Amino acid sequence: MSYLSTTDFAEDPAFVERFTRTMRGDLELAWMDASREKVRCTPQNERRGLTFRDLDVGGYGFTAMPELIRQNRSFAPRGAALPPGLPDLQAEVNRKSEVWAYNVEGYYEEAMTRQWNATTDIPWAELQEIDLPEDIGKAYAQLLTFLTEVEMIATDVPAKWLGRLNADFFEVKNFIATQAMDEARHAEIFRKRALSTGWGLMRASAHNEFNLKFLRDADTFAEASLALHLQAEGMVLTLFRFSEYISPTEGDKKLFRLVMQDEARHVGYGMQHLKWVLDHFPEKRELIHHHLDEAENFVFGGGYATEVLEPFIILSGKGLKKENVQEGIRITNAFQVKQTEEYFERLAKCGMPERRERSRLWKMLELNKDALGAA
Amino acid sequence: MSYFAEKDFFEDDQLIQLVTSILEGNLTLEWYRVDTPRLRAQPADIRRGLTYDDCNIGAYGYDAIPEFLRNRYSMASRGSALVEKLPDLGYTINRRSDVWADGVAALYEEAKARRWAPAVDVPWKDLATERPPLREAAMAQACTLLEEVALVAMEMPGRWVFSINQEFLELKSFLCAQMIDEARHVEVCRKRALVSGHGLGRASVAAEQALKELLSAETYPEASVAANLLLGSFALAMYRGLAALADNRGDRLLATLSMQDVARSVAYGVAHVRYHLDHQPARRGALSEYLDRTEHTVLGIAGSPEFLEPLVLLAAGSRDAAALARGAAFARRWFGRAVDEYLERCAAAGLGDRRARSVLPRLARTLAG
Amino acid sequence: MSVTFPSLAFFQALQVAMRAEQERFSRLGFFDTTFGVRVLGDGDARDEFVLGFEVFDCVHVASGVDGRPLDFVVEGPFASWRDMLDNIHALGAADAAHSLNTLTHFGEGLQVRYDDPDGHDKMYRFAESIQEFLDLSARVDFQYPDGSRPPVPREKVRRTSA
Repeated sequence: MSYLSTTDFAEDPAFVERFTRTMRGDLELAWMDASREKVRCTPQNERRGLTFRDLDVGGYGFTAMPELIRQNRSFAPRGAALPPGLPDLQAEVNRKSEVWAYNVEGYYEEAMTRQWNATTDIPWAELQEIDLPEDIGKAYAQLLTFLTEVEMIATDVPAKWLGRLNADFFEVKNFIATQAMDEARHAEIFRKRALSTGWGLMRASAHNEFNLKFLRDADTFAEASLALHLQAEGMVLTLFRFSEYISPTEGDKKLFRLVMQDEARHVGYGMQHLKWVLDHFPEKRELIHHHLDEAENFVFGGGYATEVLEPFIILSGKGLKKENVQEGIRITNAFQVKQTEEYFERLAKCGMPERRERSRLWKMLELNKDALGAA
Repeated sequence: MSYFAEKDFFEDDQLIQLVTSILEGNLTLEWYRVDTPRLRAQPADIRRGLTYDDCNIGAYGYDAIPEFLRNRYSMASRGSALVEKLPDLGYTINRRSDVWADGVAALYEEAKARRWAPAVDVPWKDLATERPPLREAAMAQACTLLEEVALVAMEMPGRWVFSINQEFLELKSFLCAQMIDEARHVEVCRKRALVSGHGLGRASVAAEQALKELLSAETYPEASVAANLLLGSFALAMYRGLAALADNRGDRLLATLSMQDVARSVAYGVAHVRYHLDHQPARRGALSEYLDRTEHTVLGIAGSPEFLEPLVLLAAGSRDAAALARGAAFARRWFGRAVDEYLERCAAAGLGDRRARSVLPRLARTLAG
Repeated sequence: MSVTFPSLAFFQALQVAMRAEQERFSRLGFFDTTFGVRVLGDGDARDEFVLGFEVFDCVHVASGVDGRPLDFVVEGPFASWRDMLDNIHALGAADAAHSLNTLTHFGEGLQVRYDDPDGHDKMYRFAESIQEFLDLSARVDFQYPDGSRPPVPREKVRRTSA
């Protein structure tokens, strides 16, 4: 049931004849005469090399790209001459504001030059020498188990959409490809670190798995991006920063600094995408609120994930003794408050300051603040 | 959105009681008591760092993945303690030999280690000088077509990774590496075309029709054969050809670095088919039949006027008859060699000698005559 | 002290030069292949060497290829090898017409022999690392068996890419 090319190239007499003639040096060169915009792109900053921003010239550029892609439904590179007969890619997303983000080309270039390697960029030899005590070791292994479990949702979900976007949005597709790789790297680093502790992997996180299902099943790219890049990854970014803070070793701090870089880029895309959507497609505002209502429901339900909350308490309090747990609760509460406030700050910066008032997540904030007050 | 949580957690008294209790210091520690294997992964070679091969230990390792995954449909990490009520995330590819390849973990490690960034790793200022117009026109056109190929080659793994069970972590990670490799090729080919002064060339009807046929493969094994073995073989030959014909370091480098990436995909493709057929030998006939009817697509791609004519021009160096004859001789040999090497890979993959049944050698022979 | 090409000492000198450029080679990534070099002389005369690469290093240099598992062998007449090495020595690195890929593309200058396409494909997976390894010969003081030497460098020997 696959698509079949309109031509069987091995059997089509006209194609075979042209192929044979070309192979004898008889060239038609019709492509040379195709009407095209002649540009010469050069690096604006030689230290940065030749970037996609340098290619933002004339009809080839993303600035000139219209809101609706009406002409190109094929794989043709944006700006290439389009002869008749190109196939229809069946792209589902052909509206720029469904996918675009300010600075997406910058995020892509940054991603390409900032790829790090979980295998070699972490001081594994040093970490091998460190034996974490049972309470810290298990808590840390559990945190790592949770992180390795959830990371590749941000591979699967964007990848699902990659092929559904019009080819003219290749900067976005390319960014998605870098994110897929970033998340594979995150799943890798957390898994490797868990297995290097000697404690192995711990328990799967049922509640968070249901959150992953919610992320997978978004109906549109914009919904998927909102929930994934902005809400989920935004909170994970704060979590990485917190994890760096409570990391048991210098090597682990480096680990979280590296993953944090990637995550910040994804969140950046998410924020700039939301900004773009609200600037260009303001009628989506209510839909976005409805989607965030359910996304935040999952966040609040995260309280059931004791395998995430309790390791944070133990790691930040540095142990299981009563006084450690009390200190850990205090610090973890502060982290959760920060995580929630930063989430609302991001939404406000993107043009949704009203979200804080509409959101029931404040209830979690209240719970945390009460607990902080009591502590 | 189509999926909703089982309850409104904001109204869930049980949740609030649980969280309140924890925040009062009453940790449940249910996760603390899980009985998962206490194994320690260590680098076998510290220069190489901690690889996925080093993590291939006990229940955590990829060797432990069974052929059929029947009860793991969540993203719970392989080897972690499962709990009740894990959701079904909808994976439809759950059979190991449909996707696996021996050495795929090492290929992923290689992909990461051999990464490059087109913006800074190609000496663009060398290409920004005045260069022979005919060569530049040919390069711009060839790169336009290669950008089309790369767009599809990037989409192919993206199309499937969502459906592949998370147990196959190393394989999914390799697919991510393929996606970024091809993103890099989209980028470098577009950049090369747009520094030429000629702009992009013409999109190729033949190539795109062929690419769409490859992209729409119905099963993952067919998709892998299509993208990695068939298209990969010829894409490798295309980059090799451009590298061999380069008259400057920049073009040589961009073609060579791209070649490296594609060669990795080809290596996976051969190893995947080999593994697939070792475990599902009955599939040999179906895959062979798939290639019988699909091989024509590489003619539409590598043989499209939008690639082949630029190749002849680059080899010729000019449009005079004698030069074009030399250029055409290069193209004939190039095509014949690409076909031979593709058929060798098919044999190495376990598909037997396709020479008699493939349409490609017949065409190569007519050119040699 | 000058070494001779072809000789074990020549390839050992490349091995030493590669160690000094570890940063450059590690940035290119894992380099895992063992291949042979065969220099064909008059008649049946031939000089054969094995070069083994692992991770970022050249870990093995030896004479003779018989009985060794190799991914591929690059083979060619002495004149072809000399042409390539002269070019590298003069320019600091092979120009586009003298890269290994170009010279082996149709097997006119040098040929690639292999038993297994997987091994053959390693020549492409590690193409740039192999090329940079050969380019190191620009730094080696060597002569040919007849006492002649490669051309004097026309350009500064390429530094480590920063």
